[in-house]
Amino acid sequence: MKLHVVFVVAGVEYALPITFVLQMESFTGATPVPGSPPYVLGVVTLRGRVIPVLDLRRRFGLPAVAPTLDTRIIVTQVGGRVVAFCVDRAREVILLEPERLQPAPELLSERTIGFVNGTYTVGQRLLLLLDLPRISESDHDHEPHALPAADDHRRPALPG
Amino acid sequence: MNPTPSPPPTTTADPRSRAERAAQSLRATAAETRALEESALRLTSVGNDSAALGQQLSAAVESIAASAEQTSVSTANIARSQANAAELTQTVLGGIEDSATALREVAASVVGVKKDTALLAEAAENTAAAIEESVRSIRVVASNAQDLAASSEELLASGTEMAAGIVGIAARADSAAAALVEVGATTEEMARGIERLTNDARDVSTRISSVNASTAGIAKSVLEIAERGKELGVSVANTASTAERMSRAAAVAADSAKQLEGATGQNASTVAEVAASVEEVAATSEKNARVVDDNATSVEELARSAQSVSRAAEDIARLADATATGAMQVDGSTRRIARLCEQAREVGDRVVHTAREGGGAVAKSIEGLAKIKVSIGSSAAVMKEMAQRADEIGDFVQTINLIADRTNLLSLNASIEAARAGEHGRGFAVVAEEIRSLADRAATASSDIAKIIRALQTIAREALTATMEGERVASDGASLAAAAERALTEIVTGVQEVGQSVREVAQSADEQVTVVQSLTQSSNTFRTQANLIVEAASEQAKATQDIVRGANEMRQMAKQTNQAAVEQARALRDLVRSNERLTQNAQAVAATAAEQASGATGLAQTAVQMRGLTDTTLNALNEQSTLARNIAAQTEEVRSAIDRTLVGLTEQSKGAVEIAKTLDSVHKDAQQTSKALAEQTKAGKDLEAASRSVATLAGSVTRATNEQTKAIAEIAKNAEEVRRIARQTARALDEQSGVLSSLAEGAAHQSASIAAVRKASSEQATSIGEISRAVDDMRARIREIVGVTSTQARGAQSLSRELDELSGRIVTIRAANVEQAALVEGLTASLDAGGTAAP
Repeated sequence: MKLHVVFVVAGVEYALPITFVLQMESFTGATPVPGSPPYVLGVVTLRGRVIPVLDLRRRFGLPAVAPTLDTRIIVTQVGGRVVAFCVDRAREVILLEPERLQPAPELLSERTIGFVNGTYTVGQRLLLLLDLPRISESDHDHEPHALPAADDHRRPALPG
Repeated sequence: MNPTPSPPPTTTADPRSRAERAAQSLRATAAETRALEESALRLTSVGNDSAALGQQLSAAVESIAASAEQTSVSTANIARSQANAAELTQTVLGGIEDSATALREVAASVVGVKKDTALLAEAAENTAAAIEESVRSIRVVASNAQDLAASSEELLASGTEMAAGIVGIAARADSAAAALVEVGATTEEMARGIERLTNDARDVSTRISSVNASTAGIAKSVLEIAERGKELGVSVANTASTAERMSRAAAVAADSAKQLEGATGQNASTVAEVAASVEEVAATSEKNARVVDDNATSVEELARSAQSVSRAAEDIARLADATATGAMQVDGSTRRIARLCEQAREVGDRVVHTAREGGGAVAKSIEGLAKIKVSIGSSAAVMKEMAQRADEIGDFVQTINLIADRTNLLSLNASIEAARAGEHGRGFAVVAEEIRSLADRAATASSDIAKIIRALQTIAREALTATMEGERVASDGASLAAAAERALTEIVTGVQEVGQSVREVAQSADEQVTVVQSLTQSSNTFRTQANLIVEAASEQAKATQDIVRGANEMRQMAKQTNQAAVEQARALRDLVRSNERLTQNAQAVAATAAEQASGATGLAQTAVQMRGLTDTTLNALNEQSTLARNIAAQTEEVRSAIDRTLVGLTEQSKGAVEIAKTLDSVHKDAQQTSKALAEQTKAGKDLEAASRSVATLAGSVTRATNEQTKAIAEIAKNAEEVRRIARQTARALDEQSGVLSSLAEGAAHQSASIAAVRKASSEQATSIGEISRAVDDMRARIREIVGVTSTQARGAQSLSRELDELSGRIVTIRAANVEQAALVEGLTASLDAGGTAAP
């Protein structure tokens, strides 16, 4: 049994192990950073730290929407890297049994391939398990200038 | 005669006694002639009086005719005013129908507002349910269970009040339905009244037909009077011929006088030349007998004339009777007119009264509409306030959402921290999870509330629009009612004009009554005098018959005297002296006769003038006949106008029946509204029960954040506000319903008033028709009297002339008598002298 944070992007529910999450906040805007890729909204200051914010919609190749009261920032830590994700909604933590994890089917959207580790079924709900390290790593693979540019502010020497 | 021997003295006594007898008889005749003269003089004065009376009568009749014309003109004025008033009444009816339409629109608008209010109440109920859910969801979170419980109690109290208010509304709606039933009954009554009015109008039409027949009869009688005038012309012509004959007789009398003069002259010369000749005396005597014979003839003629005078006097008496009868009839008809005028005046007063009542009803309508407008205005204000409150509630919901959001975020972060704390944080994680789930439920409840508030705002906007519409309709109704009031004022003015005309007619009728009374008096006096004339004339005729008998006796005696004179011719030689006197007298007689002849000629001329006047009268009568025909045509026009009015009344009756139907359907609507209100009552009770369960649940409410509690308290307060507003709206609707029912009552009252006006108006029309008929009748009678009076005046004048003539003749006879007496005295003297000389 592991606790997961549940969030929604474009109507699809995703689960993220709570161990990756540092904190969650309402989105009140980010300071844009020149030269950053389009899915980087900018940086925010939280508890004295300057953290880059990625828009998961854009990261998934979906059209951007204006932020609402429900819009949330999930601050994650993978290894030593602290990255915040902007999602449409995040109001829930849920207990999930690891043995009920199913592998991601091939039918999933092309765009999400490589971002999802598997699926959970809770009652009628279908949750996609987000592969957070992949998202961070794939930034380097596909868009080498994006994340380092954002991260270089905080951590110039990021371990592989 | 000269050779005739002197009569023996023994025979002297016989002629002398005869002469004395003759003298005696002559004196008797003279006395009778004097009596006759006096009687003739009396007759003449009576005849003059009669002529003067006739003229007076004629003048009175002419003034009556003038009054009748004035009355006729006034009657025409009344008829015009009456038509005007009928037209105005039509206008008022139209205005009232428009008002009724406006009222129906108002009623429809109020029904719409009621529906909206019902929706509003439903929404309020939903809000209450949502609040309840919200209360349930935050009971663990809520910090102040007591406050919530208290607000739930308040909610319960409000629900109870609202239920009671809805029951009240239902009761009022029932009473409004009952009032509508009453209005329906009143309208049906009105329809029946219009039906009756139509029947009355038909009655009027029938009466007008009979007036038409009367007018035709009048025309006929005028023609008869014209015929009578022609007869009068013939009688005048007869009079003229009689006068000419009389003139000829006078000429003959003059001739005789001249002859007498010549004879006496001859006598004188004979006596002078042959004084002793008895033959001359005999001749003189013979001539004397001839004169006597002529005198007798004249007297017979006089007797015939006296008889014709008597007949003429009897004719006059008959005419006087006819005049008196006619005057009495005129008197009766004039009194009837006066009575009818009084009735017409009363009817006019009633119409004014009824019209004023109608004006009052309209003023009430206007007042009621103004109240509706005010009430609708307050409804609109309440609606606006309600919309504003709903906005405020929306703000509170927004705040609750924010708080719930933040609570959720905090609980999530707590869970994250607990996860990081590992085993130590497990208990904390459970609490955080519970907080999160409560915050989520609060958020769900507040979003439900937001939905309900949005629905509420929509409803409030619709209610506001409906209220505006109601206000506009009420304004329209007020202006229509004002138009009706103006029309009623015009009716009052018109009816007062009618009253003025009726008063004028009444005045004319009163004047006529006076004139006719004096006419009746005059004709009675006239009749009495005519009877006196008849008596005197018959006395005269009798006296004349006596004179005729005396004259015949005298003639007999004269013949005998003549025979005696032939026998005693010689004894009459001494007649020379008396003959000279006789000559002088004869000359005087001749002069008198000549004067008589010229008088007779003047009489003939007068007769011719009289004939001309009679022709003029005939022409006037023909004109009158034409006028009577014109009156008949005008009466026909009046009848056709009445028929048109009848058609209009039938249409009105149909319109009234339609109004009754419309009211019936309004009644049905009211019943449906009543049912809907009963359902509302039930819903209110359900709400009360729901509120009760809310109160029960409030007991288990637990602590939560202070802000949330405050927000909930605010929401409760606002919900209460919404209920209060709903109650106000209900109250305003009640007021509107009340005002509407009073308006409906006012409209019914108005309709009744208008029906009464119509009824009174038709009664007036009937009265005017009767007056018109009576005036025509009277006019015809007056014409008859004018004809009769003219005939009478002419008869009186001819009688007067004949009487004058008669007097003249009597004077002539008397003069002749005196002459004769002198002659006989002279003869006696001669005989005496002859008797003395002979021995």
